Amino acid sequence: MSNSIHQKEPGKQSKPNVFSLLKPYRGMITFLVIFALLSNGVNLLLPKIISRAIDAFTAGHFVFRTVVLEFSVAAFVIFFFTYLQSIVQTFASEKVARDLRTRLSDKISRQSYTYILKTNPSKLLTNLTSDIDSIKMFVSMAVVTIFSSIFMIVGTSVLLIRINYKLAVPIIAIIPIIGGTFFIVLKKVRVLFKRSREVIDWLNKVINESIMGSAIIRVLNAQQAEYHKFMEANTEARNLGLGILRLFAALIPIVTFTANLGMLVILMLGGHFVITGSMSLGDFAAFNSYLALLIFPILMIGFMSNIIAMASASYARINEVLEAPEIIETGTVKASLHGNIELINVSLSYGDKPILKDISFSVKGGTQVAIIGPTAAGKSQLLNLLTDLVKHDQGTILFDGRDIESYDKESFRSQIGFVLQDSVIFNMSLRENIAFSDKVTDESLEKAINTAELRDFVDSLPDKLNTIVSERGTSLSGGQKQRIMLARALAINPKIVLLDDFTARVDRETEKKILSNLEMNYPDLTLLSITQNIASVKHFEQIILLMEGEVIATGTHRELMETCTEYVQIENSQRSTSHYEL
Amino acid sequence: MYRSKIHNEVQVTMNYNLNETASKTEQKKSTLAALTKLLGLIKEEKRTLIIAMIIILINAGLSLLGPFLIGHTIDTYIQSKQYHGVILFSGILLCMYITVFITNYLQITLMGGVGQRMLYSLRNAVFNKLQILPVDFFNQNKAGDLISRINNDTDKLNQFFSQSLMQFISSIFTMLGAGIFLLSINPELGAAALLPALVIWIFTKSISPWVKGKNAANLKSVGGLSAEIQESLNNFKVIVAFNRRDYFRKRFGEANQKNYATSVSAGLANNIFTPVYGLSSNIGQLIVLAFGIYLITTGQFTIGLLIGFLAYIYSFYQPLRQLAALWASFQVAMAGWDRISQILSLDTNLLVIEDQKTDSSSAYLSFRDVSFTYPNGKEVLHHVSFDLERGKTYAFVGPTGGGKTTTASLIARLYDASTGTVLLDGKDIRTYHPEERTAKIGFILQEPFLFSGTVRDNILYGNPEYRNLSNDELAEVIKESGLESLLVRFDEGLESKVQTSGDSISLGQKQLIAFMRSVLRKPQLLILDEATANIDTITEQLLESILQKLPSSTTRVIIAHRLNTIENADEIFFVNSGEVIPAGSLQDAVNLLLHGKRES
Repeated sequence: MSNSIHQKEPGKQSKPNVFSLLKPYRGMITFLVIFALLSNGVNLLLPKIISRAIDAFTAGHFVFRTVVLEFSVAAFVIFFFTYLQSIVQTFASEKVARDLRTRLSDKISRQSYTYILKTNPSKLLTNLTSDIDSIKMFVSMAVVTIFSSIFMIVGTSVLLIRINYKLAVPIIAIIPIIGGTFFIVLKKVRVLFKRSREVIDWLNKVINESIMGSAIIRVLNAQQAEYHKFMEANTEARNLGLGILRLFAALIPIVTFTANLGMLVILMLGGHFVITGSMSLGDFAAFNSYLALLIFPILMIGFMSNIIAMASASYARINEVLEAPEIIETGTVKASLHGNIELINVSLSYGDKPILKDISFSVKGGTQVAIIGPTAAGKSQLLNLLTDLVKHDQGTILFDGRDIESYDKESFRSQIGFVLQDSVIFNMSLRENIAFSDKVTDESLEKAINTAELRDFVDSLPDKLNTIVSERGTSLSGGQKQRIMLARALAINPKIVLLDDFTARVDRETEKKILSNLEMNYPDLTLLSITQNIASVKHFEQIILLMEGEVIATGTHRELMETCTEYVQIENSQRSTSHYEL
Repeated sequence: MYRSKIHNEVQVTMNYNLNETASKTEQKKSTLAALTKLLGLIKEEKRTLIIAMIIILINAGLSLLGPFLIGHTIDTYIQSKQYHGVILFSGILLCMYITVFITNYLQITLMGGVGQRMLYSLRNAVFNKLQILPVDFFNQNKAGDLISRINNDTDKLNQFFSQSLMQFISSIFTMLGAGIFLLSINPELGAAALLPALVIWIFTKSISPWVKGKNAANLKSVGGLSAEIQESLNNFKVIVAFNRRDYFRKRFGEANQKNYATSVSAGLANNIFTPVYGLSSNIGQLIVLAFGIYLITTGQFTIGLLIGFLAYIYSFYQPLRQLAALWASFQVAMAGWDRISQILSLDTNLLVIEDQKTDSSSAYLSFRDVSFTYPNGKEVLHHVSFDLERGKTYAFVGPTGGGKTTTASLIARLYDASTGTVLLDGKDIRTYHPEERTAKIGFILQEPFLFSGTVRDNILYGNPEYRNLSNDELAEVIKESGLESLLVRFDEGLESKVQTSGDSISLGQKQLIAFMRSVLRKPQLLILDEATANIDTITEQLLESILQKLPSSTTRVIIAHRLNTIENADEIFFVNSGEVIPAGSLQDAVNLLLHGKRES
């Protein structure tokens, strides 16, 4: 299908810098750098010890034990500090990754339901996994390397200038050339890195859909189609990978070549100085060996810039999530709900598409109300509004005479049991699935299970409530899942229960039992039920007929039968079987 | 005639739970064998690899030659003040540097290209395998874990191949060259100098399985983390509605902490190589220094040779130090490869079997003594037999959890019967090629799934016949099938956007799309598993009339508990407690529903 990759421009207002991430870990990073510099520094001593030993030997006052001792001590000090560095490095990078993940998940967990839908879970998955990984790599490899490389570059540059500034100037001039090349290439690469992350989102989406839809794919024998979709994304990923490669394939040889030219300059210019006598041979030799010391860190920075570019692209993506505006909960009312609901001219639209138009009705606390209407009339959306999962555009929604916005969301939602149309089963025990809120007591759990007619089912399981149910709930039948959803909603002892097409997957006999259980066990409950089936809601206090986002009629069954032709039509469509009174 | 013994020969039992099979496959698989298998994936890259090797060799050789030429220039020309020689050798060096520039570019492009293409074919291979595996596989594994395997684990391999392999090879070349030099200058001293390398080799060999194990554990926890994210984000609505944002935080926090622990121990394991290699390299130098000076005092060696020797020691141990880091990334890659090959080694248990003799009965589909047990050990169907005639409508009713969906899944061969036979058009259903079978059987699943795209994409999904029709032509076809009144329910008709998750499309609308999709494929046998449960009763009547218009030879199987949807059935089966019993009439079915022992 469409290969649309959103070419969204990142928020220009704040330029996120990966290095700023390290601030809270200053202590660790400092130690890291110190250990690295120490081990590198001592490493530079080794050639000194060797040359001194050789000098001493030729001079004839060589002491075997001192040399061995000095050398061994240096070797073990190096070992010690490299090991220490590697330990600190591991902890630092993993801590940064873990903490950033926690920050991200905290942020996501505080976002609204609509935000998650808009941002798309596949992208958030990449944020929390691949993006964090590239930042981890940055911390574990780039930070130390860059510090020690800069240290080496500055150090050797100073030494070079002190030896012979005339020769040093052209050598040091290669640094900006190399720097400039990096700058240009990395600028181009950044765009590609960002795109390659988006392609990973895309791949994730295709894989995800092919997993979620595995059954229908097999029923339709559409494996080939899926493979093509995947190939398309994968080919794009490969091409991007090759594009990035081409840029780096040019960068690294250019850097090496420039450095080699530096060698040549020393050879020709320095050689000239030596021949004309303005430079000693010893200085010339030293120059040569220091150049080697200068070039290695430049190359290392080059390799690291790859990692930094990737990490920056990832951090920019993560930052988009971190800086997204949060929902501001202004509501403070924690009052206990009676169940009086009033909607006044409520409208909702998605983009230009109106979903609900000017909805007005009221529900008296403790009554039972049915919402009936054709497919795509906006029934489920209405329930989304009533739980404040989705915000309405216009109009007012009142609970017990107070605006829905004025309620403290946590207290508000803990009084509303919402039974979704799609069954959502978490991969954990049946008990945890039903007692999904931590406020559920054993007593209310029992009551919920009995009311939802799940008792026999639970008893038939070998581990009873401790049975683990699977991710997509495949070990359960549709009706069982639906009743677990109901029990979950009832377990919080709600004041209001919203049922979204609950009857669809439950047979009528069970449904009838459940409805009478509800009346018996939860006498004060306000019930709003979306249903297709008139027979089971005939006795409800109110029936609301919703069509194409509008309320067509409200009233009791009898009233609607007399006044509303659409309702009569629906009733007729169900009449043919109604003589089998169940 | 149809005994279950034919069946037992074909029944392939396969455990699809990747995390359960992990421990079994891990044991005793040599790195070399794994590597050979991996290289099999890039057979066609053999030429490129050989060329790349040669180029890496040239590059390494020239890079070693540079310092030598400079030394030579200094010794012979600068010291004797012959500037023309300096210019001559500078010219030679310039040519050499240009060659290095080219080989450098080529080696990165070639090896990086191999890495990228390998990643590409690896991902394709894994995804292709996912398409071959049966539904059972997906029910036993978590989506997030699978995504992590396809993306994260393959990427670990890519990182090694595109970034490290090149260094790996050139390091080994340089090391070998220096090692040979060492031994040829002075075998005794050379052997002594290489002694620490032997220690390193033994150390590496004995510690590698442990390091790989740590990395495997880490990749597993990454898979777990990804599964956790996947589940929570997809179920976010419930999390918000039930005030359980803390649940997401807590579950994620646990997975995150677990991942942190395994990552730290994998990181510590991976980082053990560098200090140890460094220490050995230094000890190597010390041995040379001490032993060399001893040799000089005994008159077997000269001071000049010792200085040269020390330089070669450096070129031997320096690449070894690099290898330390590379070896760790090699272990990570191998751990990733293990997880991937676990998927690749699985195969479908729904094989197509040899043609059996055909059954003469007139039934289009028959169950003969069929029993079915889910992999978790729950027996759902017990010795079920029934016949479905061509062109008739059958209803399957019964309480939830009674086995209706399972029966339908067996008809569509999403699973194979544990014992007994399912016959389609007189032949064992397992003898049909998937293409032929799926063309005959339409199955509208209880939980409709849509792919992101448009309504058009979705109703033509898996329908090669109409795929290339223009929208107008398609509209014509839809009209002929009587489906146009359903399409009206989508604001932008065929071009209405569809999202896999979210509320932009209602469950009822999803069911309508699934319905259109199945009808347009014109199956011989159409199964509707509660397929209209969330559709209003007026639309449902419309669907009913569309079903009536299907060719008279079409067999319909309707699973429902709403009685109005089944009243036109020719025959009703009552499905309960794993048994399928014919109910004489609708009234019979009602009585069974009301009074039959229910087990749900």
